[in-house]
Amino acid sequence: MNAHGYDLSRRRFLQASALAGVAVGMGGITAACNAIGGGAVQGGTFNWMTWGDHYIDEQLKAIEASDKIVANISELAGNAEGFAKVKEVKGQLDMISGDALWVPDAYFAEGLIVPFDINELKVSQQLYPFARQFEIWTKPEGYLGYPFGWSPISIYYNAAEVSPAPDSWQVLLDPKYKGRIVVENQPEEIVAYMGKAAGFDDVYNMTDDQLATVKGLLEQLKPNVLRFAQQATDSVNAMISGEAWLITGNFGNEDRVKDGGGPEIKGYIPKEGTVGWMDAEMIVKDGANTSLLFPYLEKAEQAENIAANFIKHGRPLFSEKAYQVLVDQGEKDRADRYRWTESEAILSQTTLKGPGTSTAKSIQLFNEIFGA
Amino acid sequence: MSTPVASVDPLETMPVSPYAGVTRWTLRLWFAALVAFLYLPIAFMIIFSFDEGATPGLPITGFTLRWYDEMLGNRQLLRALANSVTVAAVVAVLSTIIGTMAAFVLVRGGIRYPSVTRIAFTLPIMVPGVLIGVSLLIFFARAADIPLSLATVTAGQLVVTVPFVLLIVASRLQGFDRRLEWAAADLGATPRQTIRHIVLPLIAPAILAGALISVTLSIDEFVITWFTVGNQPTLPTYIYTRVKFGVTPEVNAVATVMLVATLLIFAIATVALGRARRWSRRARLAPRA
Amino acid sequence: MTTRVVGGATLAPPTAASGGRISSLRRFAPFIPAGLILVGLFFVPLAVMLVFSFWSTGANLDVIPVWTLENYANFFENTTYVRTLFKTLVIGAGVTLVSLVGAFAVAYFLARYVSRRWARVALLIIIVPFWTSYLLRVYSWQAILGERGALNQVLMGLGLISEPSRLFVYNDIGTFIVLTYVYLPFAALVLYASLERFDFTQLTAAQDLGARPHQAFRHVLLPQIRPGLITAAIFVFIPILGEFLTPSMVGGAGGLLIANLVANFFKNALIPEGAAVGFMIAAFVLVLLIAFRRYLRVEDVYARG
Repeated sequence: MNAHGYDLSRRRFLQASALAGVAVGMGGITAACNAIGGGAVQGGTFNWMTWGDHYIDEQLKAIEASDKIVANISELAGNAEGFAKVKEVKGQLDMISGDALWVPDAYFAEGLIVPFDINELKVSQQLYPFARQFEIWTKPEGYLGYPFGWSPISIYYNAAEVSPAPDSWQVLLDPKYKGRIVVENQPEEIVAYMGKAAGFDDVYNMTDDQLATVKGLLEQLKPNVLRFAQQATDSVNAMISGEAWLITGNFGNEDRVKDGGGPEIKGYIPKEGTVGWMDAEMIVKDGANTSLLFPYLEKAEQAENIAANFIKHGRPLFSEKAYQVLVDQGEKDRADRYRWTESEAILSQTTLKGPGTSTAKSIQLFNEIFGA
Repeated sequence: MSTPVASVDPLETMPVSPYAGVTRWTLRLWFAALVAFLYLPIAFMIIFSFDEGATPGLPITGFTLRWYDEMLGNRQLLRALANSVTVAAVVAVLSTIIGTMAAFVLVRGGIRYPSVTRIAFTLPIMVPGVLIGVSLLIFFARAADIPLSLATVTAGQLVVTVPFVLLIVASRLQGFDRRLEWAAADLGATPRQTIRHIVLPLIAPAILAGALISVTLSIDEFVITWFTVGNQPTLPTYIYTRVKFGVTPEVNAVATVMLVATLLIFAIATVALGRARRWSRRARLAPRA
Repeated sequence: MTTRVVGGATLAPPTAASGGRISSLRRFAPFIPAGLILVGLFFVPLAVMLVFSFWSTGANLDVIPVWTLENYANFFENTTYVRTLFKTLVIGAGVTLVSLVGAFAVAYFLARYVSRRWARVALLIIIVPFWTSYLLRVYSWQAILGERGALNQVLMGLGLISEPSRLFVYNDIGTFIVLTYVYLPFAALVLYASLERFDFTQLTAAQDLGARPHQAFRHVLLPQIRPGLITAAIFVFIPILGEFLTPSMVGGAGGLLIANLVANFFKNALIPEGAAVGFMIAAFVLVLLIAFRRYLRVEDVYARG
C-alpha cells in the first residue's frame, strides 16, 4: 500500500489489460480498414503521385478487376512541393502528374522522367491531335507526358453586385470592391496575376523593373482581398455566402457555386491574358513498376472514363472522343460551358504556370506587401 | 467525568471565504461554457457532413447520408484514416516511454547540464514545423537514403512529441517528495520496486497527460508529416491535398465517424477501468483463506 | 539512520553505502533514445538546413552551393519580416495570457471540486475534439464567424447589430479567437497535471493562520504550481510562432504571421530562403528563452532533496 491506500500493482495490471483490450480493438479496426484499402493483388501495383481528381475509385476498381493492376496513389498538392519531393525519392514512384511548365523545364531537365512515344498508346488517338504535339512537351527522345486536363485561371464575379460587367484583371484593383475579393493562397500566382494586369507576358520570368511595377499593383490589391483561399472550396464558399463578389480560380466555379445554393455568377478570361495549366501523366525514371503504366493508361484514359471524370470533377480534358461521349449522354451544354472544344485556342493565349527566374523575388515581394 | 459539550471539528467553524459559493458556481459555469466553445465548431462540422451541397459550408441545402456512403467507397480516404490511427498509436506509445525514461534521468541527476538540456528539448517545439519537416525530408532522402514511409512519418512526429512528454513528466517529477522513496528504501524496496510502485503511480497523471498530448499532436499532425510521408497518406495530408478542386463533405463524414468512435472507445475504457477497480477492490477485501 | 516510522520520523537520503553505487552510464542509459531523437532527427538535419540557408535557389529550383548572406540580409532589409515577427509575438503573448487564465480556471475547478475519476473524463471530453481534423474545425470557425455565419445571425436576431459584422473573422481578432480555441486545452491539460498533486488543505491552513483567500492563493498556491504554469506558457506561446494554417484561413489578407512568410518560401520549393527566415525566428526565440531563463527554472521552490 502506498500513500494513496490502494493496491496499485493489481489495479495497474487490470488497467493495462483494459487499455490493451482497447488497443487490440483499435488495431482490429485498422486492419479492417487496411483490408478495405486493397490487399495484395497479383498482376502488380504501381505507385502514382497525383491530384485527387485524376482518378475515380470505381474506375480503378474496374481496372483492378479486369487487368489486375492496382494503383497505389499518394497525393500531390502543389507542383513545387511535389517536385521537391520527387527529386528526393524518385525510385519510389512510377508515375507522377504534373502541370505544363514543370514537365519540360523542371522534371525533364532534372532527368526525373522518361519520355515515350505517345503514339504507341492506342488510346492516345482519342485525344485532340494538337494535344499529342505540344511543342513544349515534345523532345527528340519522345513525348513527356500523357495529356490529361487543362484550365486557365478565370475571374468569377457575382452578377448582381459587380457592374459594369468586367473583362480585365483591373477589376481586382477597383476600390469599389474593397474586402470583396478572395484569391487562392498561392503567392507566386498572385504576383503573376498582377503581372498580367500590368500587361506583361512572361510573368514567371519578370525583370526587376517589371517587378517594381507589379509591386504598385499588389499594393492596390491588398485592401481588396478579404482573405486567401486554401482550397477551391474556400473561394466557392465565399461566393455562396456572399462574402466575396470576385474570386479567381479554375473552370467550373459557376456550377459549384450554383450547386451550393449560391447566387448567379459569371466567369471570364481577362482580356490581358491569363495563366493556366495543362497537366499530364509522366513516367518516372527508375520506377520499379513502369511496365504496368501503359496497360493502365490504355484502360484509364478511355473516352467513357474521361467523360465520367469530367462529370464528377468538372474541368475540361483533352480527349476528343470523350466530347462525343458527353454529347451522346446529353451533356453537350455542360461540356461547352467548359469550353471543351476550344482548348487549343485558349491555351495558345495562356501563360503556363511553372518555375522561373523571378520566383524567389516574387515571393519576397509578396511577403513584403502582405506581411504585417 | 463527562464532557457534555460536543466537540466540533475546528475545520467546520473556520471562516470560509464569503465568495466560496459564488466562486464555485462561476467555475462550474466557466467549465460548461468552455465545453460549449470547444464543441461548437465540431457541431457545425458534423452538420455539414449531412448537408446536400457538395461544398461544406452554410447554407444547409438539404439532408443526406450520401457522403457517408461515398466515404465507405473511398479507399484512399479509408486507407489514410487507418494510417493516421496506426501512426498515432505508435507515436503515443513510443514517445511516452522514451520521454518518461528521459525525464527521470533529467530530473534525477544523470545529466551534466540539466538546464541546457531542458532548453535543448524545448527547441523542437520552438522551431517552425515547416523547417523541421523540410530538414527531415532532405535528411532522409539525401543523407540517409531512407525511403519515405509511415516509419519516417513516425520518426518525424517523435521529434515534436517526445519533448512534450519529457517536459510534462519532468515538471511533475521535479517536486516529487523523495522522502516517500527513502521510506520505501528503508522498508526494503529495491530502487526498481520503488519506481514501479511508488513513483510511477504518483506521476501517472503526468504520464497520461503526455500520452494524450502525443496522440493529439500526432493524429492531426500535418506540417512535418507532409514532408516525410511516402506513398501511404495520413488523413490530414489527404484532406490538404484536395487543393486543386476542393474538398467534399466526405471528409466531414470521416471526421464525424472518428469523433464518435473515439468517444465510444473512451466510454468503453472508462467503464472497463471502473469495473477493474471494483474487482481489484473486491479481491483485496476478500478474506484470505 | 533513525527510522521511527511515526509522524516526525527522520529520514535521510540513502548514503552511498546503503543506496548502492550506480554507474553513471547506467544511470544515463534511459536518456539515450530521447537523446538520439534530438540529435539525429533534429540537430543534424537542421545543421544541413543551416548550411542550405547560406546558399540560394536556381531557376529550376536547384540549390546552388554558392555561399551568400543574401537570404539573411533580406530578413532585415525587407522590413516585413521583423514587423511580422513582432506582430506574431504580440498575438502569441495575448493568446498565451488568455489561454492560461481560462485553462487555469478549468484546471482548478477539476482539481479541487471534482473527483479524480470524473476529472479524467472531463479532460478527455476537452481533448477529444482535437482528434478531428484541424482544417475542418477551422473551416467550421469560418462558418461561425463569417458574414453569413452563425454568430452574425444570432447577433442580428438578438437585435444587437443591424447588418452582419466583419469584426470577428478575416482579421487578427479571428486569428486570436481560433488560436485560443486551439491552445487552451493543452494549457488545461498541463495545468491540471500540476494542480492535481497540490494539497488544497494548505489553503485552508493558510486561512486558518489568518491569510485572506487571495493571499493564500498568491503565496501558497501559485509558487507551488509555478513549474506547471511555466510549462503551459511555453506549450502555448512557442508553437504559435510556427502557426500558419490558422492565420491563412481566418486571418484575412492582412493577417499573415511570421510562419506564413516562411511557408510561402517552402511552398515554392525555395528552401534556402525559407530556411534563413526560419532560423532567424528560431534564433530570436532562443535569445528570449536564454534572457528569461531565470524565470523559466522549474525547480521546486522548496528545493527538496
